[in-house]
Amino acid sequence: MIAGRYFDGHSAAPAEARIDFGADGVVRVLGLAEPVAVPLGQVAISDRVGNITRRVSFPGGAVFETFENDAMDRVLEAHQVKRATALVHWLEARWPVALGSLVAVALVSFAFLRWGVPALADWTARVLPTATDRAIGSGTLQVLDRVAFSASDLTQERQDELRARFALMTRDLTDGHEYELELRHGDAIGANAFALPSGIVVMTDELVGLSKTDDELVAVLAHEIGHVRGRHALRQLLQAAGVSAIALALLGDVSSISGLLSAAPALLHAKHSRDFEREADVFAKQWLRQHRIAESNFDAILCRMSAEHPGAGDMDYFSSHPATSERAHCESGKPRAKPQGKNPD
Amino acid sequence: MNEATILDGTAGAAIPETAEPRRSLFPFVFRGNGGEYFRIWIVNLLLTIVTFGIYSAWAKVRRLRYFYGNTLLDGHSFEYHGRPLAILKGRLIVVGLYLGFLALAQVMPLAILALLPLVIFGLPWVVMRSRLFQMRMSSYRNLRFNFEGTYSGALGAFVGWYLLAAITAGILYPAWVRKRVQYTLDNSVYGTQPFTFNSGNGVYFKFCYITAGLSLVVYVVAIFAVMSLPNLKGLFGHGVPPTWLEIAGALGVAGWLLILVGAVAAFSIAAYYQASFINASFGGVQIGSNYILSELKVAPLMWIYVTNLLGIVFTLGLFYPWAKVRQTRYQLENMQVDSDGKLGAFTAGTAGATSAVGEEAGDFFDVDFGL
Repeated sequence: MIAGRYFDGHSAAPAEARIDFGADGVVRVLGLAEPVAVPLGQVAISDRVGNITRRVSFPGGAVFETFENDAMDRVLEAHQVKRATALVHWLEARWPVALGSLVAVALVSFAFLRWGVPALADWTARVLPTATDRAIGSGTLQVLDRVAFSASDLTQERQDELRARFALMTRDLTDGHEYELELRHGDAIGANAFALPSGIVVMTDELVGLSKTDDELVAVLAHEIGHVRGRHALRQLLQAAGVSAIALALLGDVSSISGLLSAAPALLHAKHSRDFEREADVFAKQWLRQHRIAESNFDAILCRMSAEHPGAGDMDYFSSHPATSERAHCESGKPRAKPQGKNPD
Repeated sequence: MNEATILDGTAGAAIPETAEPRRSLFPFVFRGNGGEYFRIWIVNLLLTIVTFGIYSAWAKVRRLRYFYGNTLLDGHSFEYHGRPLAILKGRLIVVGLYLGFLALAQVMPLAILALLPLVIFGLPWVVMRSRLFQMRMSSYRNLRFNFEGTYSGALGAFVGWYLLAAITAGILYPAWVRKRVQYTLDNSVYGTQPFTFNSGNGVYFKFCYITAGLSLVVYVVAIFAVMSLPNLKGLFGHGVPPTWLEIAGALGVAGWLLILVGAVAAFSIAAYYQASFINASFGGVQIGSNYILSELKVAPLMWIYVTNLLGIVFTLGLFYPWAKVRQTRYQLENMQVDSDGKLGAFTAGTAGATSAVGEEAGDFFDVDFGL
């Protein structure tokens, strides 16, 4: 006998009643003017969540409600009514399970963000045609020309010379990208080079001025080609979408704090971005070795660029690039850490 | 709280009929607790992750059942009846649309503009279906709620009044806020008894304008105060925008104190708006001869906001279940129903209609969009 309240399904008025799950398989509600008796198979019993009222629903809309969840659980067990959701409540009711879940959630989330998202993004990038790369970066150079760059001050001969060298570098690459070198005066951006997803590589006059030999420039350009070949822009975009999708899935119901946690994707973005820099570094050094150009050219120009832009310390975690000390061996004592955004992108 | 206090004297089939209805106040009571909800939350989060999100629909039902079921009025709890499969279907549709939208935005950015009318005219429909699902899936004392809002009503409230607010440069914004609330509440039904929404425009204009005025003052003062910090001036005007780290370093003690004061001011305004909004909206509800009274206060609500935010930040989100329970408890326990004493006198809609809804809800269109 379990005490509770009975609603007839037509009005909001409750009646004090008791429920009995008979050994004969009949559920009886007692204490009413007209007693109710229904076979167990025809009633629906709500799942237990915390300690909220348990409902036994009868055909026709009547409901018996009780706060005595434990008594209900014992009755269900006695009548061998089994269901998967009972297991969920069993898990929810235990602190050790909760703490174990906490550890598992942390580990799985970390592993998925660290390895799962990049792997998924890479796989998707391989499926997408090269034309996607062109679509991503179209218009970027025009914007930069308006807000950041001015025309190159280099002589036409020097520009042609550099373009010819770049064309030679990219002649044998058959990865579907249309490689092209653009020269600009960097103004506030200073000595720098970066690649657009389509294959356009932009190099500033200041970087050309900073270099001691053209081999150093070739080393930087090889790094940029590494970005294009590796389709880093597309992969970065896909990873960002992946991280957002996970944040949405995990915190979809947590509108108030999801804004707060949106910083996490930004940090991960920086992390993934550094992975791409390392990948481009590896490509550049390998390319230099294959073409019998000393790898020291890469270190030399990178160190000089760092020295030109002293700034933040080894803020590895927040930085979009790895610390220069990690990427190159600088000659003059302790290498300076690179400030954000001043290395070749 | 033990059972004896939950089951109160009005229980029982016989409701005393007096010549002059004696009015009484029934406070809302929230019985959930943070530790219990934390366990439910984290277990369901793990199950959601290991099932690649599929379980999230079941998790949502358990979460809503926990919060509804722990909300008591006159000793009776509310109940949520949403079915996980209907919710899962809704989520899959939403995720599909979202991915399609992302892909389209990348490949053909201009095509997004062509989708705009679809979004504008689709949104009121989504709102209507979502409210319908939400209300029909809720019950109190075994009587379902219902929703009778129409598509044209939603279009007017959400798009029409938005346009009016826009072309009047925001002057009519408070009326838009009220129209949206009115659409939701005025069209709700409990059993066979429709809700009436009694709050007029005046109260909405008042708190919206006060919020806007306070925000403007705080914003202007904050800008001037921050820009007058000596260290910060040097960072701007070199063509290169300073990084966040550079700004953080240049702020100094005075700067960070300023940010603290600004944050407190912003939270106060948010709490003022939220308290006013809830009081005006729920406080305007009349169901038969029963009236909801809502008396949230700014200072306690702000204290809850600030401590919740700090708790969530410093526990990397683990405080969230406690935060959610605290906020829910404060909101509910400052609301009560002024009743003629006959909360049990309501009747179900046309026989069977309310119970059949559960099946109807499974119909494709009754998906819950989680708005």
